[in-house]
Amino acid sequence: MRAGEIGRALLLASVLAGLLLPWLTVAPNRLLPGTGMPGFSALGWAGPAALLALALAVPWRLPAWLGAGAGLAGLALLLAATGWAAAAALEGMAPAARAGLGGGFWLGLMAGAALVVARAAALPTLGRVALAALALLVLAGLWQAETFAALSLVVEYQARQAAVHAALLRHLALAGAALALALLLAVPLAWAGFRRPRAAGPMGAALGAVQVVPAIALFAALIPLLAGLLALLPALRGLGLGAIGPAPAVLATAGYLALPLWRSILGGLTAADPAAVAAARAMGMTEGGITREVRLPLALPVFAGGLRLAVVQAIGLVTLGGLVGAGGLGALVFEGLAQFATDLMLLGALPIMALALAADALARLVEQRLGTNT
Amino acid sequence: MIHFENVSVRFGGTTALSEVTLEVPAGMLCVLVGPSGSGKSTLMKLVNRLVEPSAGRVLVRGSDVAGQDPARLRRSIGYVMQSTGLFPHRTVAANIGTVPRLLGWDSSRIAARVADLLEMVQLDPGLAERLPGALSGGQAQRVGLARALAADPDILLMDEPFGAVDPITRRDLRAELRRIHAETGKTILLVTHDPEEALELASQVAVLRDGRLVAEGPPAALVAPDAPDFARTLLGGGQPGLRRLSLLPAEVAQDARPAPADAPALDEGATLADALSRMAETGRDVLALGQGSLRLEAVLARGR
Repeated sequence: MRAGEIGRALLLASVLAGLLLPWLTVAPNRLLPGTGMPGFSALGWAGPAALLALALAVPWRLPAWLGAGAGLAGLALLLAATGWAAAAALEGMAPAARAGLGGGFWLGLMAGAALVVARAAALPTLGRVALAALALLVLAGLWQAETFAALSLVVEYQARQAAVHAALLRHLALAGAALALALLLAVPLAWAGFRRPRAAGPMGAALGAVQVVPAIALFAALIPLLAGLLALLPALRGLGLGAIGPAPAVLATAGYLALPLWRSILGGLTAADPAAVAAARAMGMTEGGITREVRLPLALPVFAGGLRLAVVQAIGLVTLGGLVGAGGLGALVFEGLAQFATDLMLLGALPIMALALAADALARLVEQRLGTNT
Repeated sequence: MIHFENVSVRFGGTTALSEVTLEVPAGMLCVLVGPSGSGKSTLMKLVNRLVEPSAGRVLVRGSDVAGQDPARLRRSIGYVMQSTGLFPHRTVAANIGTVPRLLGWDSSRIAARVADLLEMVQLDPGLAERLPGALSGGQAQRVGLARALAADPDILLMDEPFGAVDPITRRDLRAELRRIHAETGKTILLVTHDPEEALELASQVAVLRDGRLVAEGPPAALVAPDAPDFARTLLGGGQPGLRRLSLLPAEVAQDARPAPADAPALDEGATLADALSRMAETGRDVLALGQGSLRLEAVLARGR
C-alpha cells in the first residue's frame, strides 16, 4: 500500500466512524439538547452507498478523476440523505422541533471532503478547478431543491438571513480596515528600519510586545484607553471614534497584523541581492530608481507571504470584535455562546472558516505568481 | 583619458589610498594589481564616483569628476563586477538594456543593440528571454560584460571580472576580452589579484601595495631586472626572466642574417619564451624566423 493510500484509507475509516456516531439530533425546540440518531439508522440505504462511493477514492490504481468524481458523488449523497433524514425525523412533530447536526455528521463530512481533496491532488489544475465548480454546482442544486430546509442550521439561517449577510459584510469591512491601518503603520516603519538597521531592533521588539498580550486582553484594554482619550479630546468623537464599537476592534487587530507585515516588508527589502543593488548604482540608477526597479520587485515575493499571513489573521482576529460591540460574524458566535445555541454559533463560525480558507487560497495563488517572476 | 592626481582616500581612520598619481591614456587596457587591501578596487571606484577622494583630483576625459552628476557619469562608463550583479527578476535582454533604457533610447534601438551585443560576447540569441538564474557562471559573466558595453561607453571598469568562474571559462573570457579590446579600442581599467592575468591582459600595469602605487608601466618593463623589487616578485612568479621573455615577441631579437638551412623554424607570433623552449627541445642555438634568424645570445640579451 502506498503512503497516500494509507492516508486515504484512514480518512474513509473516519467517515465510517462518523456514520456510527450520532449523525442527527432531534430536539423539541432550539435550546433543549436532543436525542442522537446514529448515521446508519438515520440515513438508511444512503449511508452504505455513500461509503462505497467514497471508497473508490482510496486506491491509486483507479484513475484519479474516477476516484475524485465518485468521492464527490458520495459526499453529495451524504448531504442530500442528511436533509431527507432530517425532514423525515421531524414529520409529525411540533413546529418548534429541531433536527440538528450531530458530531458524527461533522466528522464524516470533514473526513469525506478531505478524502476527495486528497484524491483530487493527483489531477491537473484544470481538473481540480472543474471538480470544485462541479461541487459548488451540486451544492447549489441541493440548496435550490430545499433538500436542507428541515435542518436546524438552515432554519436558523433563514430566520436570520439579513443579519448574517450584514455580519459577513461587516466582518470583511473590519478586517479590511485593520489590514489597511496595519499597512499604513508597517510600510513606513519597515522603510525606516531598512534605512537605519540600528532602529530595526527596537521596532521589532515594540511590535513583538503587542503579540505577547493575549488578544482578548488587548481588545478589552483598548476600551478604557479609548474612553480616556476621548475624555481628553472630545473632538475625536466627531470623527466617529468611540470607546466601544469598531474602533477598538480595528486598532487591536491592526496592532497584531503590524508585526508580520513589518517583518515581511523589511525582510523583502534586505533580501535583495546586494550585488544587484551595487550594480544598479554603478550603472547610474538613482536611489529612487534602485528602490523602484530592484529592491521592490525583489521584495514582493517575501512580502506576499507576510500579507497572506496577515489577511488570514485579520479575518480570525476581527471575530473578537464581537466582544467589544464591533459586530461582524464574531457577534453571532458570541450571541450563540451566550444562548448556548449551537446553530447560531455555527452560523458565525462557518463563514469565518470559509473566509479564512478562501483568503488563504487566493493569497497563495498571488504569491505563486509573484514567486515565478523572480 | 583617466588621470589620478595625488589622490588619497580615507575611510574613517584608515587610509585606503595615499597620494596616487596615475595616467591611463585612451585605448589602454590598464590592469590594477596588488594583494587584497592594497587599494586597487578603491582606485577604480574613484573613476565613476562610487568612492570620493579625500584629497587630490580624478580627471575623466579631461574634466574633474567631482563636478559631474554621479548618475550621468556612471551611465557613460561601463561597469563589470565579480558577482555579475545581474538583476534576477529581469531577462537577459532587459539586463543588457539597462543603461540604454536609463538613457532613454527607444525600444527598437535597444532590441537591436542587445542582439548585436549577444553576438559580440558570443552568446546564443535564444538566451535573451531567459532569466539570469538559468545561466552558467561563464554565460552570466558574458551577459555582465554585454550589459557594461550596452551604451557603447568609451571607458570600461572591471572589478575582478573573472574571479568567480572556473579556470577554463576564465581563459576563454580573457581571450574574449582581449579580442573585444582590440576590436573596440576602449579604455579599460581592470582590477585583479592574479599576477598572471595582469600580465596576460594588460597593455599597462599599475602595482599597488598598502594604498600606494609602487610601480607602473608596460608589463614587460615590470618584470625587467631594473623593475622595483615588489612588482618584480609579485608579477615574476619566481621566474621573472622567463615571464619577461614570454611578454616579448620574437621579432624584437631578430637577426637579419639568414639561419642555416637545417635550423628549426619558429612560428609567426611566437614570443622569446617560445623561442627559448624551441631551442631547449631541439638543442640548437639558432632558429629560422621569417627571412632572418634568431640566436640564443640575442634572446638572452633581452632577458636582462
